Order: sequence, then structure tokens, then C-alpha cells
Amino acid sequence: MKIFCVIPAYNEAKNIVAIIDRGKPLVDSLVIVDDHSSDDTFVLAKNTGTPTLHHIINRGQGAALQTGNDYALLHGADIIVHFDADGQFLAEEIKDVVKPILDNQADIVFGSRFLGKKSNLPRFKKNIIMPLAKLINRIFFGINLTDPQNGFRAMSAKVAREIRIENDQMAHCNEILIKAFKNKYRIQEVPITVIYHEFGQKFSGGFRIIKDLIYKKITR
Amino acid sequence: MFQQSFALLIIAFFLTRLFYQRQKNQIARNESIFWLIFWLIAALAIIFIKTIDKAVAAIGFSGSGINFLFYTAVMILFYFIFKMRLRLVKIEKNITDITREVALKK
Repeated sequence: MKIFCVIPAYNEAKNIVAIIDRGKPLVDSLVIVDDHSSDDTFVLAKNTGTPTLHHIINRGQGAALQTGNDYALLHGADIIVHFDADGQFLAEEIKDVVKPILDNQADIVFGSRFLGKKSNLPRFKKNIIMPLAKLINRIFFGINLTDPQNGFRAMSAKVAREIRIENDQMAHCNEILIKAFKNKYRIQEVPITVIYHEFGQKFSGGFRIIKDLIYKKITR
Repeated sequence: MFQQSFALLIIAFFLTRLFYQRQKNQIARNESIFWLIFWLIAALAIIFIKTIDKAVAAIGFSGSGINFLFYTAVMILFYFIFKMRLRLVKIEKNITDITREVALKK
């Protein structure tokens, strides 16, 4: 089984080399998608010898992930892992996220901050934003997961081929979930750790996600 | 009467601008036809405002004809903004596709 790890990166010059060094030995191939960073992210990533794709225009995390998926599928990936470049996730946990697919128990696996492992989640996010996001996902999309906004996930090549990420910005998280539930894939959640360096997604970002999802639905 | 003449003058100004832009090929044929029809309808609405007043009252609206035209114009504008937004989403998608294509080919 060929495991590819897709890492979208935007202005991550500070972290990118360390992320590559930690992740590279744990997967068969790592691909960095530089989303038109204004710092040295692209050069630094490329200098490590890791396949590094470059968006000539900044298109957002969702778009970068789809570019990475396309690359991985073109190069024979069996499993694709989505991982962040900001150092919030632990590379050692890639094996945990991939395991249910390797064991043929799931088609798509989502990491969760709320399944036992300790994450230093900001209080406002933990008690207000996350429950609100969960509620919206449950009511409007019928998604019942403990951590619907988690960007650490793994999917089989079949799933990656069938789910095309159309939301260029942050709404891709919900889009992948909606499509995974709609296509009735075997879905699993595994506990992961998230290390918070800063607050991450703002409250207004949540409204933007809802707006993007609605527009995508209309323009379909 | 003065207000009607003033409104018609403004429309005349926009129509001359339209013809000028068309002559200079700054505007596409279809678009110029659309705006020509739009301004002609606006001019007709102003000339026959009394008839519109009566028609609006007959339908059962309490406001005057000009109010009715104003509300309709606002609704139409909202519709155009919505259509433009949808078009923008499609253009954004095309830009992403091109960006991705370039990234994968390099």
C-alpha cells in the first residue's frame, strides 16, 4: 500500500522543513503544495528534495489539497493523508489515522481532538465554536462526528477519486464530510493530538464556511 | 412635469453614452442592446407614469407608480448582484483549475 501525505502550505517557512523531516520517514511519499506563499516556503520545501507543487495564484487550502490529491493519484497512491503545515498535528499519529484503512475497516478516517487525547484547545473554541459547528453539521448535513472541523484525515484512493474538493477555502472540511456521508463510505474517527500555537479559525470564518457551502450548492 | 423632463434628460445622457461606447466598440453588441432596451423602458415608464399610477392602484398597491417602479428596480438589482456573484464563483473555479493544471505540469 503506497501512502502519500499531502501538505498544503501557505507562508509556513518557519515550520515547513521540520514538518517534512518528521513526516517523510513515516510515509511512502510526501507532497507539498505551496499555495503561492509570499515567504520562502516553496524554495525551502523544494530544497529538501520533496516533491513540491506551486500554485501560481493563492487559491486556498481546499484547492491546494485537491491539487495534492491529483498529484498523489497520478503517482499511484493507495492511501492519501491530509496533514497541516503549521505544526499543529503530530506526524507520529499518521500511522493511527491510516490504520483503519490498512485493516480494511474504513474508507475514510478523520482525526478527532475529542476522543481522549489531550489537546490544548482554546476555551472559547472548545465551548462555543466547536459545539456550534457540530450542531450545524448535525442539523443541516446529518453529520454526526465528534470533530467535524479537523483537517487531519486519511482516505483511500477510491475515495480521493470520487470526492473532488470544490470548495477552495476552508469549507472543504465540511464538503469532504458531506460527500463521505452521502456516498455512504465506511467512516471512522481516531483520536489525535492538536497543539495550538494560535487560535486558528476565527468565528467569522465559520460564517464564511456556511456562505461558501451555500454558494457551491447553488452554482452546481 | 419638471421631474419627468429631468429624468428623461438623464436617460438621454445615458443613451448617448451608450451609442458612443458602441461606436468605439467598448461594449459588446448584446450588452448594448440590453441597455438600450433598459433605458427605453425606463423612458416609457416616465412618460406614462400616470397610466402606471392607475395600473398600480388597480392591482391593489397603496403606493404611487413611481414607488412601485423603485421597488421593482431594487428587486431587479438584487437579482443582478446575485447573478454576478454566481458568475464570479464560476470564474474563481476556472482560475483554480488553471492554477492546478500549471502546478501539476511543472
